[in-house]
Amino acid sequence: MTAVIQRGITAGILIVWGILLTYFYTSGRVAAYLSPTFQPWTLAAGIVLLVLAIMVWFSPAAITSGDAPSLARSLGGTIFTGIVLTIPLILATIVSPSQFGASTVLNRGLVSDANALPNYKPPVEPALPTQDGSPGADTAASPYIPRNASGQIRAETVDLIYAAEEKSLRADFENKEVEMIGQFMPAKTNNAKGDRFSLVRMYMVCCAADARPTAVTIQMDPPVKMEEMSWVRVVGTATFPVEGGRVIPLVVAKSVQPCDPPEEAMIY
Amino acid sequence: MSFFRFSLPDFAFAFLSILLEGVPFLLLGALLSGVIEEFLPARTMLRFLPRNTFLGIAMSAGMGLIFPMCECGVVPVIRRLLSKGLPLSNAIAYMLASPIVNPVVILSTLAAFSGQSAIEMTGLRVGVGYLVAIIAAGAVHQLSIRTVLRDDVAAKVLQPALEGERGGPMLLRFGRAVRVSVSDFLDVMVYFVFGVAISACFSTGVNQEYILPLALNDWLATFSLMGLAVILSLCSTSDAFIAATFTTFPMVAKLAFLVFGPMVDLKLLFIYSAVFKKRFVLGLAVGLFILVGLICVRLTVVHL
Repeated sequence: MTAVIQRGITAGILIVWGILLTYFYTSGRVAAYLSPTFQPWTLAAGIVLLVLAIMVWFSPAAITSGDAPSLARSLGGTIFTGIVLTIPLILATIVSPSQFGASTVLNRGLVSDANALPNYKPPVEPALPTQDGSPGADTAASPYIPRNASGQIRAETVDLIYAAEEKSLRADFENKEVEMIGQFMPAKTNNAKGDRFSLVRMYMVCCAADARPTAVTIQMDPPVKMEEMSWVRVVGTATFPVEGGRVIPLVVAKSVQPCDPPEEAMIY
Repeated sequence: MSFFRFSLPDFAFAFLSILLEGVPFLLLGALLSGVIEEFLPARTMLRFLPRNTFLGIAMSAGMGLIFPMCECGVVPVIRRLLSKGLPLSNAIAYMLASPIVNPVVILSTLAAFSGQSAIEMTGLRVGVGYLVAIIAAGAVHQLSIRTVLRDDVAAKVLQPALEGERGGPMLLRFGRAVRVSVSDFLDVMVYFVFGVAISACFSTGVNQEYILPLALNDWLATFSLMGLAVILSLCSTSDAFIAATFTTFPMVAKLAFLVFGPMVDLKLLFIYSAVFKKRFVLGLAVGLFILVGLICVRLTVVHL
């Protein structure tokens, strides 16, 4: 009887994990948690765990037969394992909002300098020559820049942060109208007039635990007040003034409206 | 702003993301451990390892180049390898080195540090990681199995499974391999969940601004980034991308982060406890902290 209960609990743990991993992948929720490289692994692991659960359930012997120095060797150990491995997972799945709040964003510090971004490579200066020996052309030519129906450039926070660092990219955005979506965060510094806020998007390398909050300063007259970390759509002109001895990205906004979160809240 | 500020939803978000990232690799390690247990005859590996202890350790530390494993998946694997007769010091060398001395990590470090002395940084990461693994394994070689391994693991190592138990039809053997894999997976997962919970708590709750002023001093920068590596518990395949962004920190501090992190972090401290005695895990962590720190700080003198 004990063996059957242990087998049932073990299969149950595997089923819970298998279902949740598969759910995260198939529902698309995994996109908020993992970079695309790691996402397929969740589905694979989920399927393998479900297969293992079936095999364990129909297995003729208890899996806790002492093959391993297992916590689950006794019935009490099996129950303990079952609680530890299922309750926190289920609770976290329910509680997790699939995005970070202001607390973690502030703890990690806003990144508005390209050199502090993962994967950033300083540009090769001067530009590499083309095949005919002429100087390299702008790689981000305008036909490749996404635009909305009104012709405004759809820019991400990282686009403007990179542009602040690289002259060749800056030309694509400077003094042009951009549309940006991000999370509202009141500006803590360089905001003497009170007309600025930070537009934040989380930038992930591997998983959400390593995500860094990238931010572009938005200037809006009259000042706007939104709920902290609420999603907003900003339309305005991209500028790159020098403040504090370095070029910073600053969008002079003409409209700031609340909006729904984008399909992928993270930038990869 | 305060040094620590906790948010339950943020904690849950980070907790889930680390779990989702780590579980597939842990499962892979557990599946491999089942195959090793059932299909690898005991003491087979001894035939392929040099008889000389040092050469054996040196070869084991480099095995990650052929059998790459990440730091989560390697623990169930070495547990099984130990029970199959792999000497303890060789197992430690493989466990500590394989998350660094492996092709995926080498390529990711090269990519992450492109434009920041990538070849030097990658070479030093692999070299120092390999050296530290060998030194640690050499030290462990002086210890008895019973002082290092948990009693139940030590008992299995000292009294390996009888070969006669491992026969039978292929389907039966496959079933046994699955049982071992599941058992190992659940065992390590319990520790993994505790480690991830603590790591998620620190990575979301600690105000990282408090760490930045430490970058001004080589000693403080090196040891504080190693402390950060413990807290963040990053996967060795992607930690270089994070390290490359610590622009205010000296290169030696980043090197220490990249060598120490894959060997010791919060989740690993718990996972190691599935195989080793707690006192040994603590000693190993402190020893590696000092060793990696001293080696990296010493590299400052040679103008890295």
